[in-house]
Amino acid sequence: MTVLVAVTDTSEGSHALLAGKKEAAMLDTDLLVVNLSLTEPEEVHTLADDGVTVLDRIGRGDRDPATAVLDLIDDRPDIERLVIGVKRRSAVGKALLGSVSQRLILQSPIPVLAVKSPQ
Amino acid sequence: MASDLTRTTAQHLPADAPGRHSHRLGVIAVVATFGGLLFGYDTGVINGALEPLKEDLQLTSFTEGLVVSILIFGAAIGALIGGRMSDRYGRRHNILVLAIIFMIGTLGCVLSPTWEILALFRFILGLAVGGASATVPVYLAEISPAERRGSVVSRNEVMIVCGQFAAFVINAVIFNIWGEHESVWRFMLLIAVAPAIVLFAGMLRMPESPRWLMSQDRHDEALAVLLQVRSPERARAELEEVQALAEEEKLAQTGGPADLSVKWIRRLIFIGVGLGVFQQATGINSVMYYGTQLLGDAGFSSNAAIVANTLNGLFSVLGVLTGIALINRIDRRKMLIGGFVLTTTFHLLVGLSAFLLPDGTAKAYFILVFVVLFVFSMQGTIGPLVWLMLSEIFPLKIRSFAIGICIFMLWIANAIVALVFPPLVAALGIAATFFIFAGLGVLALVFITTQVPETRGRSLEELEEQFRREYS
Repeated sequence: MTVLVAVTDTSEGSHALLAGKKEAAMLDTDLLVVNLSLTEPEEVHTLADDGVTVLDRIGRGDRDPATAVLDLIDDRPDIERLVIGVKRRSAVGKALLGSVSQRLILQSPIPVLAVKSPQ
Repeated sequence: MASDLTRTTAQHLPADAPGRHSHRLGVIAVVATFGGLLFGYDTGVINGALEPLKEDLQLTSFTEGLVVSILIFGAAIGALIGGRMSDRYGRRHNILVLAIIFMIGTLGCVLSPTWEILALFRFILGLAVGGASATVPVYLAEISPAERRGSVVSRNEVMIVCGQFAAFVINAVIFNIWGEHESVWRFMLLIAVAPAIVLFAGMLRMPESPRWLMSQDRHDEALAVLLQVRSPERARAELEEVQALAEEEKLAQTGGPADLSVKWIRRLIFIGVGLGVFQQATGINSVMYYGTQLLGDAGFSSNAAIVANTLNGLFSVLGVLTGIALINRIDRRKMLIGGFVLTTTFHLLVGLSAFLLPDGTAKAYFILVFVVLFVFSMQGTIGPLVWLMLSEIFPLKIRSFAIGICIFMLWIANAIVALVFPPLVAALGIAATFFIFAGLGVLALVFITTQVPETRGRSLEELEEQFRREYS
């Protein structure tokens, strides 16, 4: 059984990673990280040393981060929990850029742990 | 249109020894650059043809702008679609299709009875021009060995301006011999069919790009192509480099609209779009499309104007050659700022000549000299620099998407300036129009000094780190 954390290069992403680590420890399972940003956030650097697998978005098929995550969940039946960071978006922001978190929460076939940054 | 593919560092491959394959590579490069030549010819040919065309089809300054600019709007779309199509169906396949569209578009323009039909076929021609601008440099970069990549792609840029120069010269000859015929413009446009046929016939015998074949997992065919254009040891060694570059291309396509939510990426795209728009706002293409008329308005007779206009083409070529020589010797920001200072100065001088000097031969010649100097400074600095910087500022994963947006906006800016130029000159005169260009140049200078980063001699990682830090 595996816990999948989708990490972005934001404060929500960092908190999601922390929460994901805790969740995996609590459930006593493996941790898998998918890096949704186009560069490598600080925390992701050190993960490889701790023996955690980090996947990146690669190629046109991963253009849409939500699709990339959902495809990964389909490909790996061992993933049973998804952990993501969520942030409030303005209506305009949502209309223009869409909400990856919202789509993941609504379309994920497995339970989702939604983590916010503390105010 | 230098692509980022020239930046990939060559691993230590055995040197490509000369042999039969280098001859073949030379032939391939020449044939493919006919694509660039066509690009230049088709965009430049309207320049000499516009006066007789305007008479024959009874255009107003608005419909004139429309007929000219619709090709550029087509090119904006063609560049977008062309890129995707060449990824799907292959570079060679794309270039063949483009050659056919060039032929259809040209014949359609030549035979149009009304300006509306002419506009339609110019739009179709535009699709081919845009597609060629996206596909030809990519094909050239992918088929050339790393050591020659930069120079082969630069040669394409030279071919583009040579195509425009050739169009100017041929039009000047045709006009001075047959100018009285009202359909002379049809013959001017017809000449463009010849290079399209050469491109088609030539490309039929050319191989597909080995890198594209690799990306389609057609490894054996990729090796076969490499064996055609490299020495045998080099071909096998390069297979790995080609594979790595194909992977890199794949990575470059990762970023998309969702990544616009990241502030520093948005900022970079803003800078890229700004560079492209300010490049077009110099009005360089207005001179390339409307030069003959501009010189006619300045005071030359029709026969003299079309001949004088050839100087614009000549100095465009000289400018590009100079730019290629200078480009890696001077810091980018310095070169951009220097370029805009020069172009803005010449804009002002054109405006002042038009405003202050009494009508006559002296005024015409002054304007000609300043316009030519503007073209030279533009093509020597801002022209090539903008393309180069676009290939340098974006991190790998966002590159394909980001450059696509910037190129699209660049074409649109090109088209808008082309659309607006004739009505503006008709309404305000040369002086005011060029004062407006000078004003835009000042804005450009402000933009560059405050927004544009220096990229020369800096690695991708360095730049990426700086952007993340500064623009978040």
